Amino acid sequence: MTELIAIKNISFSYENKEVFSNLNLSLESGEICCLIGSNGCGKTTLLDCILGIHQVKGGEIFVENKNIKDYPRHNLAKKISYVPQIHEITFPYKVLQAVVMGRAAYINFYSAPGKEDEDIAMDCLKKVGMDHLADKPYTQISGGEMQLVMLARALAQNTNIIIMDEPTAHLDLKNELLFLETVADLVNHHKVSVIIATHMPNHSFYFENKGLNVTLAMMSDGNIQAKGRPKDILTENNVRKLYKIDARLLEYTLEDGSELKQIVPLSTKF
Amino acid sequence: MKKRHRILPNILLIAAPLICIFITLFVGRYTIDPQTVLQTLLYKFGLISGNGLTNEDMAVVWQLRLPRAVLGAAVGASLAASGAAFQGVFRNPLVNAGILGVSNGAGFGAALAILLFSSLAYTYSFAFIFGALAVFLSYMIGRIYNTTPTVMLILGGVIVSAFFSALISIIKYVADPYNQLPAIVFWLMGSLASVGQQQFFALIPMGIGLMIIYSVRWRINVLSMGDKEATALGVNVSRNKLLVITGATMATAGAVCVSGVIGWVGLVIPHIGRMLVGNNNRLLIPVSISLGACFVVLMDMIARNLTGSEIPLGILTSLIGAPFFVYLLKKTKGGGW
Repeated sequence: MTELIAIKNISFSYENKEVFSNLNLSLESGEICCLIGSNGCGKTTLLDCILGIHQVKGGEIFVENKNIKDYPRHNLAKKISYVPQIHEITFPYKVLQAVVMGRAAYINFYSAPGKEDEDIAMDCLKKVGMDHLADKPYTQISGGEMQLVMLARALAQNTNIIIMDEPTAHLDLKNELLFLETVADLVNHHKVSVIIATHMPNHSFYFENKGLNVTLAMMSDGNIQAKGRPKDILTENNVRKLYKIDARLLEYTLEDGSELKQIVPLSTKF
Repeated sequence: MKKRHRILPNILLIAAPLICIFITLFVGRYTIDPQTVLQTLLYKFGLISGNGLTNEDMAVVWQLRLPRAVLGAAVGASLAASGAAFQGVFRNPLVNAGILGVSNGAGFGAALAILLFSSLAYTYSFAFIFGALAVFLSYMIGRIYNTTPTVMLILGGVIVSAFFSALISIIKYVADPYNQLPAIVFWLMGSLASVGQQQFFALIPMGIGLMIIYSVRWRINVLSMGDKEATALGVNVSRNKLLVITGATMATAGAVCVSGVIGWVGLVIPHIGRMLVGNNNRLLIPVSISLGACFVVLMDMIARNLTGSEIPLGILTSLIGAPFFVYLLKKTKGGGW
């Protein structure tokens, strides 16, 4: 297993407010890392540091054994792509045009995407099952479809790593499941590694049940408090500490004999 | 199949403004019959002898109508392309070429020059310099946080516009009401009435600005995804923004210093373009350039012929452009907004 991302002792603060310090995290090839923590604990800031949007105030981030500071912007975009929580639409671009933008890092500064880039974009749309929407204005697709289109755009960047920031936060049950299935399929079959911030701890169980190499990282008080396999660390006790809520871990055996685990929140007063 | 679709529209984009310029050579208050106009053209290119042509004919076509039409086309192209570029970069379909204060800055420069000197050359250069200065100030205000977030840039533009607008009022207040004040007011309305070959210098900033916008037009799509996503897509957002702003400012300042403040073109032409070819800036920018050129040339033709004395162009572009825009909106049902 090669290490794709190695985060070593990084610190970050806004003005005088420290977000995290001496934080360590890593991502292996083929791994999916679920990052959970309460609102405002610094998940997004951490992801922004990995994406190179924020500069860390201390420590180092290595992407494929090279310090992130030594990557020119367009080269980093060939290593790491990004799926936002929600894409803010300004102009009604066609779906395919939006996905083609994932090719920006590969396109000469003064030129525009060619037929080859459009073909790649179309392939990526097929991988997420959204190719039938290619010619539609992306203002006219549903929120679930939009997230898959954003995923296709990330795929068009042809990176080993995809960073996702609460990508299912706005989706209904089916679309959430569809998104997770698509991500699991990509990790399984297309050698993609993922860091995904989420508010649903159960997502990590979902990926674990799919047989993926999952790490769950629990973030609070400016650091990663616990890190490991979901089945080992996603316990009632840890959830209580992380979110300050009372919760139960339910276990159920499915018809096919596989074990299903779910964390269920009970009460904020305990 | 795609190729067949592309060649004809490309020819049309280049031909349309040329045809508009050509048509305006035949129309004007000074009557010259069409045959004579053609003769002056052919004579200039050495294709026929100048028998029967008067100096007046030559002067009207070659020193009045043609330079005016060429500059009008450049002004229209610059305002429309800059408007489209700004709309993309600022992710706001409602901004126009003057969003960063270039119009009010240039207006102040022109008004100041009219107040201090009575030479047109100063008016043009002051307009250009203060137009560019206004954008520079907006940009510096936008950089207060070390980066250039869109909201800060637009806020900078609003602040600088308001500031220069106040300065314009001061100058109007102290200007001599019989000579200077009308000149200032007329300039601010926007007109091509006094342009000729001596303003061809303005083609240089307009040309450079248009080339910059044209060459990075696809990047504008990526910038319109927002700073964070554009960064993650591999684009150096600050540098790209600065480049587009520089290009659009050169083009707009060049245009405004020639024609004064012509409203509406930078806002509405890009939207008409969107209704025709969609939002992809790769197509939208060339279409805006072509449409903007045609629009201003034709409007200017109407401006100088409709009544005995000229109607300021800026009034006409809004007066005709606004209802036409509503008509298009209704006809295309907005196109995906």
